[in-house]
Amino acid sequence: MISLECDNLFSTWREQARWLLSHQVDPSQVSWGEAEVADLFATDEPIPEGLGPFQARIPKALLELLESAACYHGDQRWSLLYEVSWRVSHGDRTAMLAGDKLGSELQRRIKQVSREAHHLHAFVRFIALPAEAGPELPEYVAWHEPAHDILKSASQHFVGRMGRHRWMIATPLDGVYYDGEQLIHQRECPEAWRQLAQNVDDPHSAMWLTYYSHIFNPARLNPKVMEGHLPSRFWKNLPEGKLIPGLISEARTGKQKDGQAKWVGGRPGKKIANPVTVGAGLPAMAVGQAE
Amino acid sequence: MQLIEKLSILADAAKYDASCASSGAPKRSSEGKAGLGSTDGMGICHSYTPDGRCVSLLKVLLTNFCLYDCQYCVNRRSSDVPRARFSPEEVVTLTLDFYRRNCVSGLFLSSGIIRSSDYTMEQLVRVAKLLREEHDFRGYIHLKTIPDADPALIAEAGRYADRLSVNIELPTEASLQTLAPEKTIVSIKQAMQTIYTGEQTVLNEPRAPRFAPAGQSTQLIVGADDTDDSTILHGAEALYGNFKLRRVYYSAFSPIPNSPKSVPLAAPPLMREHRLYQADFLLRSYGFSANELFKGPGHLALDIDPKLAWALEHREVFPLDLNRAEPTLIARIPGIGLRTTQRLVDLRRERKIRFEDLARMRCVLAKAKPFFITSDYHPQQAESNSVLLREQLRDRPAPQQMGLWG
Repeated sequence: MISLECDNLFSTWREQARWLLSHQVDPSQVSWGEAEVADLFATDEPIPEGLGPFQARIPKALLELLESAACYHGDQRWSLLYEVSWRVSHGDRTAMLAGDKLGSELQRRIKQVSREAHHLHAFVRFIALPAEAGPELPEYVAWHEPAHDILKSASQHFVGRMGRHRWMIATPLDGVYYDGEQLIHQRECPEAWRQLAQNVDDPHSAMWLTYYSHIFNPARLNPKVMEGHLPSRFWKNLPEGKLIPGLISEARTGKQKDGQAKWVGGRPGKKIANPVTVGAGLPAMAVGQAE
Repeated sequence: MQLIEKLSILADAAKYDASCASSGAPKRSSEGKAGLGSTDGMGICHSYTPDGRCVSLLKVLLTNFCLYDCQYCVNRRSSDVPRARFSPEEVVTLTLDFYRRNCVSGLFLSSGIIRSSDYTMEQLVRVAKLLREEHDFRGYIHLKTIPDADPALIAEAGRYADRLSVNIELPTEASLQTLAPEKTIVSIKQAMQTIYTGEQTVLNEPRAPRFAPAGQSTQLIVGADDTDDSTILHGAEALYGNFKLRRVYYSAFSPIPNSPKSVPLAAPPLMREHRLYQADFLLRSYGFSANELFKGPGHLALDIDPKLAWALEHREVFPLDLNRAEPTLIARIPGIGLRTTQRLVDLRRERKIRFEDLARMRCVLAKAKPFFITSDYHPQQAESNSVLLREQLRDRPAPQQMGLWG
């Protein structure tokens, strides 16, 4: 049994896998673990240096799939990738496909990873730092808790979106900072970044919260569909998250009869005088001023 | 009036419009540039409200003052609702603020009709122009188009907006006359034609200014009148054909406060809306025609989806051998979607498809089972008749407690 550690880096794993394949090491004979968590069954077999005789061919398309699936946090994170590589390099391409048992797990992980990248693009919420914070600090900061290793690649999206603005996203693991010209990724998020992102004040959040409450149509209440798209693990970091339970219970207790929000219903209304119609059935144009 | 109060009123007034899509725009980026915003063709849903609908754009009305008296609309002139009006600059400020927070991917702006169609349209265009030219905003903009507006204004809107839409509102001319007396099908279709012509003009002209690159869409209200689904979907099919619409949105009529007697005061028909979207998807992506889905006038079934309904009517086509059948036919098997079809085709290039392969793919096996054959499986139900099969496969709604007052 060979026990390896790749520091959760795809490039390191890839070198290890290349070496293992060249020596024809069977997937059942190798495992990956954290450096400090030694495999119970691992023995220190002497490891031959240099590549072995077997020339493994990995198609480029598979390499891309593996790199994407490598971002997945979960059991067998690296050994599953090795098993897929083993089977494909031995001529069994079904190991890449969703119809296969192993392939379907690979595809499921890829799907989860791309979903999580999408969650970053959707659910990051930037908060502006006070203008007097100075040019050394970012203008916008966000705290986000992704389930997989997607921050480095997926945060590229915000470079196009935010133009020359400086911004930072901190997570429990890593962090990114865009200084207006380049994107800096730290595998270990600096404590100062975390502090900044988690303790920032947001004195101007009322507009967004108001919009969120009023675009909701209580007559169409359907919390199950919402939770399918917006998993509850994100609620705590979304400003609108704390409004959700209240909006649901208000809708259940009577607001479902029509779509209007309570606050609007309580305000004085205004009917508008019938304008002069220009001929039967024709649009009433160029007449009066409604405001 | 404070900006926050205006926002409350004008977002509340905009919630009945179903569309919030931000997809289909060309690739734009602000990397290294002044200004803000990007698009890449994919829409982003930044949040979801408890009605299960996505929040992708800041969707507001410029004003809910309106000269028209459309019976289904909460903002009709005879409705006793609070009224407000944004200045174009206020909408710009809100859009940019929400965009920087990453709460939205852009703006969807509509309006009640004030003074005249042209004046209203000018105001909408002004907001888009300010965003694009004064603020270098490269995010998504969807402008509602006022049917009777001058074609020159619609052309100008197309230069700034990614998507334009004219609401068809109701499925038939007769309903429009009864419920929206100031609107006519002729002017609505003329506006659609203007947009379509604008799109065609810049097609294959890489140096021409852009014109609504994400195309046009429309919305119609379902359940405010008694038009049947067959008429609705035949109408949608014609719109897709004649004006190359990207989407037709179906909005279940949602009861409004101070409802006039001419429209129902009942819960929105959400299941009917869902079936219409399913059928619409069959028209757009699965190669079905409306004639295949309906044998005559009538509604879609509520208890089975339209693809299953078609399969039960066409048992002679099934069961299909997944190892041999044409991909377009595989996609017609109930419970098997386009993605699964592609996966089956990929897999069968490598080896024979077996029954257990389907269990691993994302398909609704219970629904698909009677309709396919694999190298190791032949459906028992292949011989049972459609009435029986339908009874086995239909959705059974969860039992509902009866209302206290019946």
